[in-house]
Amino acid sequence: MTNEVSKGAVSQTKSKLWVDVLIFIGFLITMDPHTSGLAIHEWLSLSMIGAMVVHLLLNWDWIAEITRRFLGKLGGQNRINYILNWLLFIDGTLIMISGIMISEIALPLMGIQLPLGFAWRRLHDMSANIALLLLGIHTALHWNWIVNTFNKYLIQPVVRLFSAKQKKDVSL
Amino acid sequence: MMKILGRTFVILAVFAIFSGLMVTAVNASGANLPDFDGTPQFRPDGDGDGFRPEGGENRRERGEGGLNGPRWLFGLIKNVGVMAVLVTIIVWPKSVAKKKKKNSGSRTIKSE
Repeated sequence: MTNEVSKGAVSQTKSKLWVDVLIFIGFLITMDPHTSGLAIHEWLSLSMIGAMVVHLLLNWDWIAEITRRFLGKLGGQNRINYILNWLLFIDGTLIMISGIMISEIALPLMGIQLPLGFAWRRLHDMSANIALLLLGIHTALHWNWIVNTFNKYLIQPVVRLFSAKQKKDVSL
Repeated sequence: MMKILGRTFVILAVFAIFSGLMVTAVNASGANLPDFDGTPQFRPDGDGDGFRPEGGENRRERGEGGLNGPRWLFGLIKNVGVMAVLVTIIVWPKSVAKKKKKNSGSRTIKSE
């Protein structure tokens, strides 16, 4: 039973790691529409909604726990993290909604035409810049987890693989 | 399964509420006046007769382009750089303080 629980925890941590890596790469691509082109920028951004939902679902227990304890006894870092995550969520929503409002490819393809406006474009640029800062702080606050998880599930297995290969070569 | 669906619904509902609030706020502020009446008056890449405004040859439209030149690399480095600076500013002092605390702790043990 304990073994099953720990196996589940390991696979969930791995899932979190890969989802976060995908979100990070996706974020970097969508942050530069001049490079990726508008079609990739818009479709990738829309698919990021799904990735964000998965990210939130994987961290649901933490969110629920901190929401319950927010007004009570709670450590400083958890409180800061929680507030920062809400800011990221609100900013992410603003990026999405303003992006949808100024969409030139994805929405017209679905037959939806929205009136163009300067305000949404400005909001889109501004919220994207704020997201870069918030994501930087979010990454910094989770830096230990990132380093430990990368080390455990990516670097260590590669090192073990190479050392096993070397041992095999020596024995031959 | 129902638990996951319920949680997904909660996330999307919160997303929809915030979206609604934002759309309402922008429309109410009157900041979102249309750029034009719907028919383009001017195209930066030239009109039907081949006219191209002066200096527009090298101008790129939003989202136009590709992996040409070092521009994409500059954008990538800029974005990763901003995040790296933030991570360094926040993580480095923390780790220094932790090391100091550790060192002073081990010194106290030695002196005892």
